[in-house]
Amino acid sequence: MDMQASTHSSALSAVILSGGKSSRMGRPKALLPFDDKPLIAHLVERLSRRFADIVVVAAPDQTLPSLPVTLVHDAVAHQGPVGGIYYGLRAIRGTAAFVTSCDVPFLQLSFIDYLVSQLDHNGRGYDVVVPVWQDRLQPLHAVYRRRVVPHLQEQLATQRLRPVYLYDTVPTRKVSAAEIKRFDPEGLSFLNMNTQEDYQAALAHWRTLSAPISCTVELFGVARLTAHTPRVPLVLSAEATLGDALTVLGTECPALLGSVLSADDAGYTSLRNGYTCNINGKDFVRDAHTRLRAGDSLLILSSDAGG
Amino acid sequence: MYGFHGRLLRIDLTTQSYTWQDIEASRLRAVLGGVGLGASLLYEYAPPRVEPFSADNPLIFTSAPLVGTGLTTTAKYAVVTKSPLTGFIADSLSSSFFALELKRVGADALVITGAAEHPTYLLITDTGVEFRTAAHLAGLSAQETEERIRYAVRTAQGAEVRVAAIGRAGENLVRFATLSNEGRHAGRGGVGAVFGAKKLKAVALRGQRRVAVADTEAVEKIAITLRERSVGPHTAKYREIGTVANLAVFDRLGSLPTYNFQNTPFAQAEALSGESFITNGFSQTHGCAACTIRCERLFQSLSGEAQRLEYETLFALGPLCGIEEPDAVLRAARLCDQHGLDTISTGGTLAWAAECADKGLWPELHATGLSFGNAEAMLALIPDIAHRRGVGAVLAEGSRRAATHIGAEAESFAMQVKGMELPGYEPRSLKTMALGLAVSPRGACHNRSGAYEADFSGQVDRLQADAGRGALVAASEDFSAVLDSLIVCKFLRKCFDDFYVEAAQLMSAVTGWDYTAANLMRVGERINTLKKLFNMREGWRPEDDWLPARLLTEPLSSGVVQGVSLTPDELRLMIQSYYAARGWNEEGLVREEKKRELGL
Ligand code: SF4
Repeated sequence: MDMQASTHSSALSAVILSGGKSSRMGRPKALLPFDDKPLIAHLVERLSRRFADIVVVAAPDQTLPSLPVTLVHDAVAHQGPVGGIYYGLRAIRGTAAFVTSCDVPFLQLSFIDYLVSQLDHNGRGYDVVVPVWQDRLQPLHAVYRRRVVPHLQEQLATQRLRPVYLYDTVPTRKVSAAEIKRFDPEGLSFLNMNTQEDYQAALAHWRTLSAPISCTVELFGVARLTAHTPRVPLVLSAEATLGDALTVLGTECPALLGSVLSADDAGYTSLRNGYTCNINGKDFVRDAHTRLRAGDSLLILSSDAGG
Repeated sequence: MYGFHGRLLRIDLTTQSYTWQDIEASRLRAVLGGVGLGASLLYEYAPPRVEPFSADNPLIFTSAPLVGTGLTTTAKYAVVTKSPLTGFIADSLSSSFFALELKRVGADALVITGAAEHPTYLLITDTGVEFRTAAHLAGLSAQETEERIRYAVRTAQGAEVRVAAIGRAGENLVRFATLSNEGRHAGRGGVGAVFGAKKLKAVALRGQRRVAVADTEAVEKIAITLRERSVGPHTAKYREIGTVANLAVFDRLGSLPTYNFQNTPFAQAEALSGESFITNGFSQTHGCAACTIRCERLFQSLSGEAQRLEYETLFALGPLCGIEEPDAVLRAARLCDQHGLDTISTGGTLAWAAECADKGLWPELHATGLSFGNAEAMLALIPDIAHRRGVGAVLAEGSRRAATHIGAEAESFAMQVKGMELPGYEPRSLKTMALGLAVSPRGACHNRSGAYEADFSGQVDRLQADAGRGALVAASEDFSAVLDSLIVCKFLRKCFDDFYVEAAQLMSAVTGWDYTAANLMRVGERINTLKKLFNMREGWRPEDDWLPARLLTEPLSSGVVQGVSLTPDELRLMIQSYYAARGWNEEGLVREEKKRELGL
């Protein structure tokens, strides 16, 4: 199984653009409270699980709460996304960055990991990895190499403010909806807020998501005999992945460690060769980053089915 | 010659004579042993359109290059003939000491033709063949026959023999009768009935001829590696539970056929699961000779007898017939073994009959009380099939022929392909397997390909059909053909890092001939094409590669696969993709160029 642990990537950074206009919302979107904390604080917290270097690009006069980030200001306000990406990439320490706007409450780390992994894909290197959701490019949920900075600078100088000009110029990997759906079936990653109603709806969804989820592991064959039970209920954090579930399973059922599960030095648990997972009796899953949902059943069975 | 003897033993039961004949090295090289050599000899020795029960239908035993090399899981032999159940090729494998003894007899194959006038058994040694009376063995089970013959030879000649025999079902020409040795069975396709038609009760073997391998050291090295891998995690399921482990998983995935393929899942799957058998009762582990995996499990019935149980037996005599009690399944399995009946075809035919009874289509069934879930009625009918008594005489013909006896409606739910009853894989929720079952040369078979592996791995969407499946099924069939001709047990298949490369090294070391991975893939293709050519000669038509109407008209209606269906168009698309992958024409016929390309 592909079960790489996700850790800080020192070569990569994250950029949050917080300087966009909030005219219809009537107040700065970065500061909209979620669970008594401004949204931007949540974003920084979440992204810091993957990126040690986070740059926030604010409007020239924007004030933000104190955050463990590098704060930069647009030199010229309102040059659209290209301006924000440009100022952000200039300030990063890494060679590439995941760039996002500040009004997206439902970033999915597993999907961001996937985007980052696509910088090198099928033996080719790309300068930009950008998802296409509902037939629209998503420039503010994309990964850029720092070396595109001169191109952006030139675009700003010539007032070509649409990101697509960049994609036509540098090697760009467009990520399809089918790929996105593997991590984020509903495209929550791209859900942003422009009005009060959007905010209220997002808040309601936030509350359902941040609650811990219950899943059930169903054990078959040798796994069942080893654990002496057919079923193990698990309570997992809201954003738990398959890898997280296996880690919790290892602590709940230590008997499985060694025979069915193996834990590495970092405490990260994966399935041993000879075993596989299926979710809800339907999809066989290999990717440790696969997100689990409340009520999911995770079947652990021999990879040698049939016979 | 290394790895092979380079000769076969022809035996004529009519004239009670035998001859040794050479087999050309080029043929052995091209088709190996096992099912490959069996298919090649069948094509040669069966007169075109031979009637399966006629004296002319050859009964062919083949050994294989890896047999006797000490490699784990290689104590196997194939028995090949024209099937009385399907009218096409029957190639069954079985294993253990009989297989090792066959190799020691000094022939790569036995080709038995003719028919004896009276019940006979053969005592074959490396010096010749004795035709002995089997009158005193009539009606005995294969196991009793084996014991009697072994005892008789031991006391008279002070020698140990290994015996394969048929039971009552074979003697009575039940079209799905088995051949058994040491509790293992060449199960599918009715090989036992061809024995019966020849009045041949058993074959006893004793020999001392050894075959050298070309590079002993290299073979030993590979043997050690495979032995080590064979006890690793890939075989844990087989070692700890056996194939019965499939039942609970299949049930959960909506792939366990129940009630004559009317639906899935099964309400009592938990009680019938392999895990429950292991946890709730006494079980023993057994294995074939020269095997380090030892997948065989014997479970104790309530009456205290130990009964061998495989997933297919459990499925066919359990959920397929609506039987919920583990003990009833064990008793049914025991009856099948005692009488020499293939458990899958027995369960499949009984399930079909139970549906006929439910629908009131066959009044004579009423007296038997047969219905889904009625274990006692089912248990009573099994010996009736073997004896061809009452309705048992009709059931002994298998579900396809029995259905023609009842009428068109009953034919639509006779769950067979080419006359062979389907194994325990629900085709609607395993689309690659659906194709594999439709096109397999020997009928609905889960052994001559592992098409289900693609479905169970997530490599494809198992619930959807597409044109990529043809290539997968062809590749899987070729892989199985090589496994079955080397011969290596299919449960060792995951223990190779790169099967063809390692198998080529192994074959080169055993035979001294240069094999490459590409050669061996070709061998697989050649064997499958040869089987198809045999079937074509025997009257194969495109409609023979098709699935029963039920699977193509009724969607699954519950569980995780609720609403999943398979349409005729989807099946047609997959079948066309299979013919294309094989390089056959659109009607599924082998082209002349292909024959030339494969040297056929
Ligand atoms: S794995 Fe099972 S079937 Fe295969 S050789 Fe061993 S005991 Fe026989």
